[in-house]
Amino acid sequence: MKKFFAVVKHEYRKIVLRWTFLLGTLLFPLIAACFAVVPAIIFSIKGEPTRIAVIDRSGKIAPRLKENLSGERIAARAEKAAKEQLKELRPDQKEKLTRDAAQFQDSFVISGFNTEGKSDVQIRSELASRIAAKELDAYLIVPDNYSDPEAQFDYYSRKSGDLIVNESLKSALDGAVRSQRLADANISEKQLEDLSRAVKWEVKKIDESGAEKEDAGGFLAGFAIAFMIYLNLAIYGQMVMSAVVEEKETRIAEILFSSARPFQLMMGKLIGVALAGLTQFAIWVVSAAVLLAIVAPTIAASGADIPLPSISPLAIVYFLIYFVIGFLLYASIFALIGSMVTTVQEGGQFAFLPVMLMLTGFYFSFAVIRDSNSAMSFWASVAPFIAPMTMPVRVMQEMPPFWQIALSIVVNGLAICGMIWVASRVYRVGMLMYGKRATIPEVWRWIRMR
Amino acid sequence: MKEQSVTLRLDGVTKRFGDFTAVEDLGFEVRCGRVFGFLGPNGAGKTTTIRMIVGITAPDEGSIEIFGRPFATGSQDRIGYLPEERGLYKKMKVADQLRYFAALKGVGRKEADARIDYWLGRMKLAEWKNKKTTDLSKGMSQKIQFISTVLHDPELLILDEPFSGLDPVNVEFMIEVVSELKEQHKTIIFSTHLMETAERLCDDIILINKARKVLSGTLREVKESYGSNLIALRAEGTGKVIDDPALVAKATTHSDETIVVMADGVDEQKLLRTLVANGARVSKFEKIEPSLNDIFIEKVSE
Repeated sequence: MKKFFAVVKHEYRKIVLRWTFLLGTLLFPLIAACFAVVPAIIFSIKGEPTRIAVIDRSGKIAPRLKENLSGERIAARAEKAAKEQLKELRPDQKEKLTRDAAQFQDSFVISGFNTEGKSDVQIRSELASRIAAKELDAYLIVPDNYSDPEAQFDYYSRKSGDLIVNESLKSALDGAVRSQRLADANISEKQLEDLSRAVKWEVKKIDESGAEKEDAGGFLAGFAIAFMIYLNLAIYGQMVMSAVVEEKETRIAEILFSSARPFQLMMGKLIGVALAGLTQFAIWVVSAAVLLAIVAPTIAASGADIPLPSISPLAIVYFLIYFVIGFLLYASIFALIGSMVTTVQEGGQFAFLPVMLMLTGFYFSFAVIRDSNSAMSFWASVAPFIAPMTMPVRVMQEMPPFWQIALSIVVNGLAICGMIWVASRVYRVGMLMYGKRATIPEVWRWIRMR
Repeated sequence: MKEQSVTLRLDGVTKRFGDFTAVEDLGFEVRCGRVFGFLGPNGAGKTTTIRMIVGITAPDEGSIEIFGRPFATGSQDRIGYLPEERGLYKKMKVADQLRYFAALKGVGRKEADARIDYWLGRMKLAEWKNKKTTDLSKGMSQKIQFISTVLHDPELLILDEPFSGLDPVNVEFMIEVVSELKEQHKTIIFSTHLMETAERLCDDIILINKARKVLSGTLREVKESYGSNLIALRAEGTGKVIDDPALVAKATTHSDETIVVMADGVDEQKLLRTLVANGARVSKFEKIEPSLNDIFIEKVSE
């Protein structure tokens, strides 16, 4: 046992004390945080106001458009949208909304344009030259037949790629035209609002016992969890493989085998690398939890429709259990490959096999995300090699009955025993076979060898 | 007491890989405190035999008794094995690797640190303690590997080509170190192709070829059994006598000297007298022992 722990310690230190481990551990949450936070920051940076000339021969649309683009209107609209989704606004969220709206307030400078006695061609060339002279950024042509459903509004902009500006302008224009059409049809704004209010819609989840709960926004979280498991298994599996190949390539295996049992050495390696992976996984899970706690209010306040998951401590325990299960299954395949080949490059050619298997599990996790109670989800979360990717997603979506988790753990536990047995038999012979890659019949013979 | 003085005993050991027999019916004894030369050409079955002794593989037939008992995993901690093909972890510090190898032999951390310092000092590598393997020269790596073999103070040392990759100065240095270990009554199995080195170091030898034992015994016995019929001769005008098959079985001329193998039953005094009587001018006439190299080549090419 002492020797076994020496191997575990050696493998653990070898990975954890490497600077790439530190980098990977810190970088992953950082990148994740960037994805969550940076777009919000970028969007909140205020750009130069867009100067728009509105060509409106009817003279009816331009004033309404101008009004719709005022700061107060934008804030009111955002607040209304947020209220529909969040039911209740906290003071900090409301404050943020006002702040955001203020940002848009000065985003547009609307100017009129005297069209009298000018042909369309003349107008355009005149506006084009003003844009060229940088006096203007864009112009909007309101057609005379604006109330016709087929009427086309042409918007010419030097910043046509600025989606945010385009969107706000378009929605303001939509509003302006709609109001004018209503006015033309003698329907009041209030009447319309009452008639066209969106239905109140709330997704509630019911678990098997029939108890209601809030939809935990499982899709994104389920996807993130499945991806994190897949990534971690792939990375740490390959680490096991290269550690095995290194010992074979440098002939250290011969010294090791004359000091400890091959089984001890292989298991020590698997456990050591697994602990390193768990360390990283734990850091990620904790930092994800912290990140969510910080980011959640910001996202909610922005009115964006990103539901955030709630993860129970029990679910985290299951994640860790399934990480270990998945790791032992796949790492023993990687160890087997490592002891068959002569170089890491050669191992890479075989690594696609376990990676394919992992991907299969990853894809099955989508089936689980869609319907975590289907028969397919059940089998996928029990099947060996697949379950490590699918069961955590199921747990995340909705805690399955305990017997299913137990069954899944037992089935995969048996698979682990089988894989480790096979891998250790290949390892004990393969590690001392130098020079050429083993063939499949050879490996088969090693497995059956006494 | 007599029985205990045998460190290692192999009896009827056979190892097969599929249809290929790597070692066949091999038996020998290695006595305590002796340097035992384990000799043979490439592919003779040396590495396979050594792997069975250190417990990496098990024999198909026969028995291996070590330290007076059948092999047990605990025996591994009392053996220091320096394989012929060997290496170190590339990105690890010297001291860390040595500590790991010591831990695998069951040596505690404190004890290991003390011995690492002693051995790095002895090998004149103290300042390399915290360097990585990639910074070491080949000779230095060889010495580090040697240290990993002796760190746990083993009673039995198995050195497979320990001097390969070393320059002559370092070979001398390492021979000195091995001799020191012998003085500490360590049993040493020494496997090599360098017959001159084997001749200098070994007390007993075994020669194996094609999976089987060819000869064994003390170095003295082996040499004597080969050799009372060799003469180193430097002379002029020896023509007729040397060519006489009744007197000379074989004569090989090296630069300025001829090695003469006398025919069976010929007395060296008679040969000398005949030479002189036939008018040869003899400047050197010396009865010599066969070198281990000669015996090796003769036995292996049989």
